[in-house]
Amino acid sequence: MLAFLGRRLVSGFVTLLGVVVVVFFLSRLTGSPIDLFFPEGAEPEVIEAFNRAYGLDKPVIQQFWLFVSRIAHGDFGMSIWQQRPAMEAALSEMPMTLLLAAIAMAIAIAAALALGSLAAVYRFRTPDRVITILSLMTSSMPHFWFALVGILLFAVQLRILPTSGSNSWQSWILPVATVSIGPIGVLTQVVRGAMIDVLSSGYIRNARARGIAGRRIIYRHALRNAALPIISVAGDIAAGMVNGAVIVSVVFAFPGIGRSIVGAILNRDFPVLEASVVVIGLSVIVLNLLIDIICMIVDPRIRLT
Amino acid sequence: MKRNLVLSAIALASAATMLTAMPAFAQASDKPITVVLAVELDSLDPCDTQPAQNGNIARGNLFESLTHVSPVDGKVEPLLAESWKQTGDLVWEFKLKKGVKFHDGTDFNAAAAAANIMRTQGGENYPGLACLNSGQIPDSVKAEVIDDETLRVTTTVVDPILPLRLSYVDIGDLASQTKPDKVLNPVGTGPYQFVSRKQGESVKLTRFDGYWGKAPQIKDVTYIYRKEPSVRASMVETGEAQIALSIQAQDATDDGRTVTFKDNRIFIMRPSTMKEPFVDPRVRQALSYAVDRDTLVPAILGVTGAPYYQMLGPQVNGYLSGYDDKEAFKYDPAKAKELIAAAKADGHAVETSFDIITRPDILPDGGELVQAIAQNLREVGLNPNIMSMENTAWREFLRQPFPPEEPATLQMISHDNTSGDASFSYPKYITCKGINSAICNPELDKLVADAEVASGDKRAELYQQASSLLLKEAGMIGIAEQIRLIMLAEGVHYQPNPLSGLEIRIADVSLDD
Repeated sequence: MLAFLGRRLVSGFVTLLGVVVVVFFLSRLTGSPIDLFFPEGAEPEVIEAFNRAYGLDKPVIQQFWLFVSRIAHGDFGMSIWQQRPAMEAALSEMPMTLLLAAIAMAIAIAAALALGSLAAVYRFRTPDRVITILSLMTSSMPHFWFALVGILLFAVQLRILPTSGSNSWQSWILPVATVSIGPIGVLTQVVRGAMIDVLSSGYIRNARARGIAGRRIIYRHALRNAALPIISVAGDIAAGMVNGAVIVSVVFAFPGIGRSIVGAILNRDFPVLEASVVVIGLSVIVLNLLIDIICMIVDPRIRLT
Repeated sequence: MKRNLVLSAIALASAATMLTAMPAFAQASDKPITVVLAVELDSLDPCDTQPAQNGNIARGNLFESLTHVSPVDGKVEPLLAESWKQTGDLVWEFKLKKGVKFHDGTDFNAAAAAANIMRTQGGENYPGLACLNSGQIPDSVKAEVIDDETLRVTTTVVDPILPLRLSYVDIGDLASQTKPDKVLNPVGTGPYQFVSRKQGESVKLTRFDGYWGKAPQIKDVTYIYRKEPSVRASMVETGEAQIALSIQAQDATDDGRTVTFKDNRIFIMRPSTMKEPFVDPRVRQALSYAVDRDTLVPAILGVTGAPYYQMLGPQVNGYLSGYDDKEAFKYDPAKAKELIAAAKADGHAVETSFDIITRPDILPDGGELVQAIAQNLREVGLNPNIMSMENTAWREFLRQPFPPEEPATLQMISHDNTSGDASFSYPKYITCKGINSAICNPELDKLVADAEVASGDKRAELYQQASSLLLKEAGMIGIAEQIRLIMLAEGVHYQPNPLSGLEIRIADVSLDD
């Protein structure tokens, strides 16, 4: 098991290195922060001093090596706009993103287990058809559209939720719904498929023949064995929730790493952008590792592969 | 001291409505208000108030300047300076208001004013400070203390509009002005003082009880940011905010709560005149003839735009009154084709494709307008490609130098001039060395240079001559005058003025009891 985890850690480190390289060079392709930071016609000496202070006066390759050597010591530099360490700026936004993702994921998994199981049990009957149509709709619904319609309906028309912000528990409802609506659809389909496979297997038929109650079959036997694909897909979806966090930050002004990234891109705040992407990369790697561990616990055969 | 601003009908209308809109007696209110802005501010430093996202919060609320442009008639009025006089070609003396205090209780005096003027310009004592207001003082000036209430400002070139330029120097407390770092806890003399800033979320201000002027009615103000215009409008509808800026036409209400203002903001096309197909002025004129403003602008921009042909707004001293009716190159596709054919016959490569450089947020519904313009240009035989990009990339195309290997561009620009003086537009946009200029005509350069040192009617006349030449050369082609929208909650009164794009004085806002 340790060897397996070791391999995962090494591959995670290589992935993180790739992320660092890509984010460094792609952010430099967007141009220099000087155009934004300085007024038109700023004196060249002032611009040179700025470039020196942020190491932008050196060739890009040299900038990259300096960047790698600095981050090896945990130093991501100072934010150009926020005047505080870049990693501090990125980490300060992370708890809200993690909390939002955790709540959204918990809701998505719970809803998907209930709806997917129901659809599998009533396969090809009315509940299955309704659930399948709804899950296809929600999984293909653009986050952005859902967020704006949600505001119009629940905030402007019905006046039961705030339009945006994060000051009350009610202000979490629309952002959580926006982030979880897609995953509910996708996971419902996965649960349905996995449960149909399991429910048609021999040991379930055997359990039914022995007179075990239908509900017990589903919760004790079927769901447990259908868990593996569900956990794998849920892990991928959780890692992709950053996309939802970006939309949520733009539409609802909801705090989080999405807001940090959008702001850093628009302001060409390279240090904050790099720190934010590395934080997200690390989170995804840790999350994948956790999923691997959970999968190993659920299915011990994985340790051998 | 005389200003050249044209007393515009808009400003008068604004003033008249302002007087009628304000309650006769505004009592102090403890009701807080929330203002929702489109973009988060970059800086709370008094030397960074020029960009609208900073100025909307800081100017006229936290900070004040020595002089102020009247929103009613565009004249330069005293603010923290009581009076001023020009004592030599290059020397000005300002008498400062007595009894003005900063929010921290220290006195406003000539030392503070001088320090702010010097720091705003940057220089060797402030490395890397990069004040965004420094662009308003293109030629350096020296500020000295005569006594506590008298300030001397010496310019390096003759500058008849120095008092106007100083309206862009907001004044912070003396202690902050000795440091080369950006101010994070601003202290000014304005009617509101800084309470807190939560990065990415909000800025809070509260009424300054020691304010030298009339106390404002509203006590507490919170500024928040929402990128989506429909969300901003929704927040006012639901009562989460009382004022929303930058509202789109489709979210406007017709019950008097959506108020409009013009701030001399014009949507312009700038052809790169040094590259084909725009080298021949006839092709540039054809650009103007090709665009059907009277159809496109009302259809696409609705209440937020009106057809326009010049670069400068009606309140700017370089504006040509009557030009639109008599001389403008109005929609005439046959004439456009004729001009292009004539240029082609003279050997110009009029078929050369060019890039229309725009950005999604250039104006509300700007994307559709640019597409329609491109279609108009294709119809007369030109070959445009639309390139829509984010602000920073767009700005790289805006500024000189223009790499010779790049194709010709038709840059879409939304340009405003709240000062009323063409010197805040023309040197940068239409002279050979202007950082945003894509035209080089020595005659234009001379007119602009002569206007810079002239004053009064002569200054206006020279700028108008420059405008006339610029429009004949089709170096800058106006498309639409932009009209901006602000949404107010029930019971909130605010009458915007031509400066409202840059500053929203909360002291001008009143609430029903």
